[in-house]
Amino acid sequence: MFNTKKTLVAAAVAATFAAGSALAMSSNSGENTTAASEKINGKWAANYKEIIKAHDGKYLDREVMDKILGDDVNSLQAKLDPNNPYSFEVDDAIDGGPHGNAQCKVPKAFVEVWESAEKNMKADYVAKGFGTPIAESALKVWDINVDGDGNGFPKVDKPMTVEKGGTVFVQFCGMCHGEFGEGAKGYLPLAVDEDLVTVDFTDPAPMKTIGNYWPYATTIFDYNRRAMPFWSPNTPAIGDAGYYGITAYLIQANAIPLDDEGTELEDDDLATPQVIMKANKYMQNQGNFFCDHRPITHNKRCMKDCPDYLVGDGAGDIHNYRRARTLPDGTLQYNVNERLHEAAPGVGHKGF
Amino acid sequence: MTDNRVEEKVALPTEESRNQSRRAFLKGTAAVAGGVLFTKAASADYDPAKAVEPYKGKEELTEVLQDGPWRKRLGFGVRKYPYGVPTPEVSYIQRRTLEWLTPDSMASITMTPLQHLHGIITPNGLHFERFHGGAPEISAKDHRLVIHGLVERPLIFTVDDLKRFPSISRIHFIECPANGAMEWKGVQLNSVQWTHGMMSCLEYTGVRLSDLLKEAGVKLDKARWVIPEGADASGMSRSIPMEIAMDDCFVAYAQNGEPLRREQGYPIRLVVPGCEANMWVKYLRRIKVTDVPLQHREETSKYTELMPDGTAQRFSWYMEPNSVITYPSPDFRMQGPGKYYVRGLAWSGRGKVAHVDVSFDGGRNWHEARFTSPVLDKAWTRFEIEWDWDGSEAFLMSRVTDETGYVQPPMPQMRSVEGTNNVYHRTAMVTWRVHAWNSKNGGLIENVQY
Ligand code: HEC
Repeated sequence: MFNTKKTLVAAAVAATFAAGSALAMSSNSGENTTAASEKINGKWAANYKEIIKAHDGKYLDREVMDKILGDDVNSLQAKLDPNNPYSFEVDDAIDGGPHGNAQCKVPKAFVEVWESAEKNMKADYVAKGFGTPIAESALKVWDINVDGDGNGFPKVDKPMTVEKGGTVFVQFCGMCHGEFGEGAKGYLPLAVDEDLVTVDFTDPAPMKTIGNYWPYATTIFDYNRRAMPFWSPNTPAIGDAGYYGITAYLIQANAIPLDDEGTELEDDDLATPQVIMKANKYMQNQGNFFCDHRPITHNKRCMKDCPDYLVGDGAGDIHNYRRARTLPDGTLQYNVNERLHEAAPGVGHKGF
Repeated sequence: MTDNRVEEKVALPTEESRNQSRRAFLKGTAAVAGGVLFTKAASADYDPAKAVEPYKGKEELTEVLQDGPWRKRLGFGVRKYPYGVPTPEVSYIQRRTLEWLTPDSMASITMTPLQHLHGIITPNGLHFERFHGGAPEISAKDHRLVIHGLVERPLIFTVDDLKRFPSISRIHFIECPANGAMEWKGVQLNSVQWTHGMMSCLEYTGVRLSDLLKEAGVKLDKARWVIPEGADASGMSRSIPMEIAMDDCFVAYAQNGEPLRREQGYPIRLVVPGCEANMWVKYLRRIKVTDVPLQHREETSKYTELMPDGTAQRFSWYMEPNSVITYPSPDFRMQGPGKYYVRGLAWSGRGKVAHVDVSFDGGRNWHEARFTSPVLDKAWTRFEIEWDWDGSEAFLMSRVTDETGYVQPPMPQMRSVEGTNNVYHRTAMVTWRVHAWNSKNGGLIENVQY
């Protein structure tokens, strides 16, 4: 079932880019946003290293990128192609194992990083002998990593039910995160199903929680056992079975399915690593992540009479600005009144 | 000086005080000048009469200068402060936080008062703090670092063991990727401490990570990632690709010449130059070498950037080039038209700063600033430019170009691509609006956003 939805991402992002490329186009007449799709499949300048070196290593210079990628450097779509030297991504199906543990990488065009790393990798080294050998088995308390492929799950002899996991959650976690993970006292909610798409820039930021945002279910176990409950992390009072229980409860609370039919966890199901690994394949947002694609802008360094899209509000008006006085909903903002001497100084500077 | 005082420092001393200090200065040098300086032939271009021309017509002070009390009695003796403290008069220069940002102080952040810093080094006591589980009080003698996983020979080190290795010292900026996060949807805050203070720049000393990995016999044919982890309550962890680990990372035990502070990871922390500060794991106790990333909460739930279409960027390691004018900035107030030296900081996670340009008209025209500090790799660089303010409304912006050729974008452009829900990596330019001198709030410097 797992798929990276790259095509989906690419299409969605292409839409986002309509605005961004429009800006770029005004500086680069004749640029065509559809050029990106023509470039995919290995048509990038194969001699990108020489091109970069010929330009003093300026691999993010607009001119250099134009030479390597053609004039479609604003296309994120292009950066999802592993052959693109500016891609942060490698094919996760090959490297990530069955669950697509994402493999992002430093883009090949970052020639300096690669050359320096390679030099340090190849340089001869003879150990100084200042350390002390230690057996892997001596690290079993310290090695608490559970990775995206599920490596590192501890064995559990007596798994608890999902219902019992819920009781443990309410006891140890509910006071800060709410009994159903809805959040409390300003602490983070853990189960809120909000749409992550926003249409207007002034819309409030969507809440990102396990169900609607997290790409891996393994992270729930790894993080909870590693760092929660906040005041006494990794507590024996909960124990591995308890952390499995809490994890399963959070999978249930977030309505994460376990198979293609959409089966969800029942109260009397047992909280085991197998359950987490099933959910791991059905994390609803997993396919919507992509490796960092920055830089997102590729401007030329303009000095005089710069074009409108680079000036002021992006349309050349330098008096069309927003101020700190109010939020979109009209609430007063940080210390402007004090600074205007309309109110006594002090508000907003109080720390703990 | 109280904790909650609002900073309203002047951008320049007033006319009177400027003349007064200048006069005192001139009187002081006159004596020297007669005796030493002018015995050598003066340069042909330098005309002393012309040099002092701007003082023509200004009233001369005639009141005889008196000694202050500190001239009449002894000051305090050595070792009154075995570890020196800042002058009480500047005790308002502090790390500060915004109480509404986080629900408690153990998973929270304070910001560095950039508006009061000079040069490129942040004093240790002003280094910003970012905790995910409070700052632990670990004793160096109880601390260990383990390197294991895809290595020939898992090893454990004491802090003294690490100090025996060949050392390096490097000056690097350290920046929380959430620096500037509160400004995505518009401006909220009128101080560069709030808009850019989640960063500092220090000299770190430590051992190369590439040496330590090879000491344990890292299996480079299979190993793709290193996963550092902290010994604190948060067990902080990130996945770092082998290329970055082998490039220029190191394990630091000192900052600005002294042992790390507890707030910064005592006894040891990872330094990942140019990359998100979240990767610079503090209280470092374990480095696991693996073939797959961890997918830790700090690289999935957090430190990923939500785009308007609902997709999200992850593994955003490098901090983009960025710059800010620290003087004049909203903490100051202009004291009338005249000559100002506009100063600020520029930095790039991908190398050296190449140019900084400053605009006074909202981005239409730009003027290249000069550097007043060394220009170092992945470090703050100080810039400065002369500005004759005629008293009219101005919109100040700075724009960095780094050695990779990347040019810092304006905010509307960044917003049009990234939306406003990224949280992290808000690295577009900011704008300081200087109110016209003859307006109601003449000389006020305000953070505005296009
Ligand atoms: C004292 C309040 C408190 C308690 C009790 C607590 N937490 Fe937390 N929790 C926090 C804080 C604070 C954070 C954010 C930590 C940070 O910023 O690094 C957090 C973060 C989390 C997150 C990550 C949320 C996200 O979106 O990234 C999860 C999951 C979580 N807690 C689960 C639990 C579980 C499970 C328990 C019980 C075992 C628990 N918490 C108990 C305060 C608490």
